[in-house]
Amino acid sequence: MATASSTLAVFFPTKTTITRPHSHSHSHSHCHPLTIKASSNSTNPPLPGRKLRAAVIGGGPAGSSAAEALASGGIETFLFERNPPTTAKPCGGAIPLCMLEEFNIPSHLIDRHVTRMRIFSPSNLSVDFGKTLRPNEFIAMLRREALDSFLRSRAESLGAKLVSGLVTNLELPESSTSPYVVHYTSDNSRHSLPVDVVVGADGANSRVARSIHAGTYACAIAFQERIKLPDHKMEYYNDLAEMYVGNDVSPDFYAWVFPKCDHVAVGTGTVCAKQNIKLFQKGIRERVKHKISGGKVIKVEAHPIPEHPRPIRVRGRVALVGDAAGYVTKCSGEGIYFAAKSGRMCGEAIVKASEGGDRMVNEDDLKREYLRVWDKKYVTTFRFLDLLQRVFYGSNAAREALVELCDDEYVQRMTFESYLYKKLADGDRLQDVKMVWNTIGSLIKCNMVGSK
Amino acid sequence: MSISLALFSPPTQPLSLFSSSPSKPLLTLKPHLSLGPSKFLTTTKASAENGAGTSPSAATALEIQPDQKVAETPQQVVQKGESSVGANGSAGAVEIEEDNVLSQFMDPKWVGGTWDLSQFQKDGKTDWDAVIDAEARRRKWLEGNPETSSNDAPIVFDTSIIPWWAWMKRFHLPEAELLNGRAAMIGFFMAYLVDSLTGVGLVDQMGNFFCKTLLFIAVVGVLLIRKNEDLENLKKLLDETTFYDKQWQATWQDEKPGSSKN
Repeated sequence: MATASSTLAVFFPTKTTITRPHSHSHSHSHCHPLTIKASSNSTNPPLPGRKLRAAVIGGGPAGSSAAEALASGGIETFLFERNPPTTAKPCGGAIPLCMLEEFNIPSHLIDRHVTRMRIFSPSNLSVDFGKTLRPNEFIAMLRREALDSFLRSRAESLGAKLVSGLVTNLELPESSTSPYVVHYTSDNSRHSLPVDVVVGADGANSRVARSIHAGTYACAIAFQERIKLPDHKMEYYNDLAEMYVGNDVSPDFYAWVFPKCDHVAVGTGTVCAKQNIKLFQKGIRERVKHKISGGKVIKVEAHPIPEHPRPIRVRGRVALVGDAAGYVTKCSGEGIYFAAKSGRMCGEAIVKASEGGDRMVNEDDLKREYLRVWDKKYVTTFRFLDLLQRVFYGSNAAREALVELCDDEYVQRMTFESYLYKKLADGDRLQDVKMVWNTIGSLIKCNMVGSK
Repeated sequence: MSISLALFSPPTQPLSLFSSSPSKPLLTLKPHLSLGPSKFLTTTKASAENGAGTSPSAATALEIQPDQKVAETPQQVVQKGESSVGANGSAGAVEIEEDNVLSQFMDPKWVGGTWDLSQFQKDGKTDWDAVIDAEARRRKWLEGNPETSSNDAPIVFDTSIIPWWAWMKRFHLPEAELLNGRAAMIGFFMAYLVDSLTGVGLVDQMGNFFCKTLLFIAVVGVLLIRKNEDLENLKKLLDETTFYDKQWQATWQDEKPGSSKN
């Protein structure tokens, strides 16, 4: 790192003086453009005799991953979580394979290995996804409370201090070196904690986002009922998850039946027609009537899902990650992996910018090391899924076309590979062209049939 | 990306595809779902009841259906059980009861989850037009009466069994005729106008870059703007395409001075 920083010292100081015209008069002494020094290239002031203090608000996948990255990088980390470890977060609970590897999730946490996915069109034409999966590939279904507890205790074992309390307010500092003060209630008494950097991982109704005036975003509502089925009906869902599309179950999203540890979650979601959510839930119950008859509803839950990123994701020394930042894909509504990944990337960015906790950080560091890296890596994925949602979830005719297209093995393989490994799958050009041709053809045909 | 490229090349019905404007569910129901169980009865079954009048709001929203559907008996017993969950929304353990009467699409030609092509014969050949019509009717009926999916009677009808030339003959050719006619009329008139204004004949016009550009604009215009609503739709489409991107870039916009940049 020292040799790299010495060569980079040529570039960084000039860059920083241009982009930060009204800050850090105290840091000019570090701007020696052409000196080859085996020392840091950062223009941030070193911290006097202590490590950088970071507060991570929210102990879900995003917060725990951020706390883990921060603590293992040598930063004094405080992880705030308001819920006791047994509270179940309403969630689909599906995570891709790459998350199991990247985050070392132990296999005992996985309730089910889903290897088949069935998608039903508005006219109940069904297509089985999963013929192309290799024997070791599956979608892991787990309980959020189990995953969250595991990640939290792992962050704690790496040095993060777990604070059980509800954060009520984040007080913004006056200058670039004074601390952020986190006000929270714990054990019915109010406390406050001064920190240097804040990572907001507190979900869709983020209080941190409100404190820094990060702006609002449109939210979808996801509504689900957990239903305990009789054994022979549960057999059917052993490794199968179902997806239903149609105007009767959701005007702009899909409805699902996901198997959980000993019950199924039947739910639906929507952005534009939230007041009719109960109607859509009834619609999905109607569609799966025979498969869930005789079951008992054991829980009803709902949660908002952000539809797009917040207008401001980094302001001052506060960064938003996970649901608080709005990192949920369209089309599939996947958020757990992106929450954990963004938490980790943000933590690593802070560690890098502060050089292991020795220096203060500023907004530009966060934007450069975290936001830019994140956007470069994932914005194409998000944009592509947005396009898919707009094209295929808009009308019943388009949904029929979607299901018809999914019958193709190439489409299935590309979809699964992109989902499981979060990488643009390696495709055959000729097959791509054929897929595109079939897409247009199906859309046209289904529109003709549907609009008569 | 190859897909986005292809989506911009003109298919015959481009604009209905991208209508992401939310269509209200056909089963419009008054928002107070807690007003007693009777309201739940008619949501999915109303169209089959011939003006039974139990829920006027739901019935009026649906279209007149052809007479080949099953007349439905209301599911009083089942719905009462289910509606109590919705009414109070609490996690009571409610039994989901077995339904006895199915709402199903019934048609003599619809056999085993697909259309029986042998019943569509005309002069010894399959009448594909009739198949397309039948499927369109079925889908329209399903819009108003969504069916329960069933493992025992899966739907297997796939539009890919209809040969491509049937689609061409039925839909593409008439539309192509219309559009070509429009293009020809515009072309003739504009060529005449330019000739009378500038004296440049048709052959010489084709050699001119400006005229070629006008020709291109005319062709693209005829292809994309087919109905009056298309102008609005195109503008909306352009906005929508860039909207999501704008949301992602929002955080990179320059902030006004004076905001906290600590």
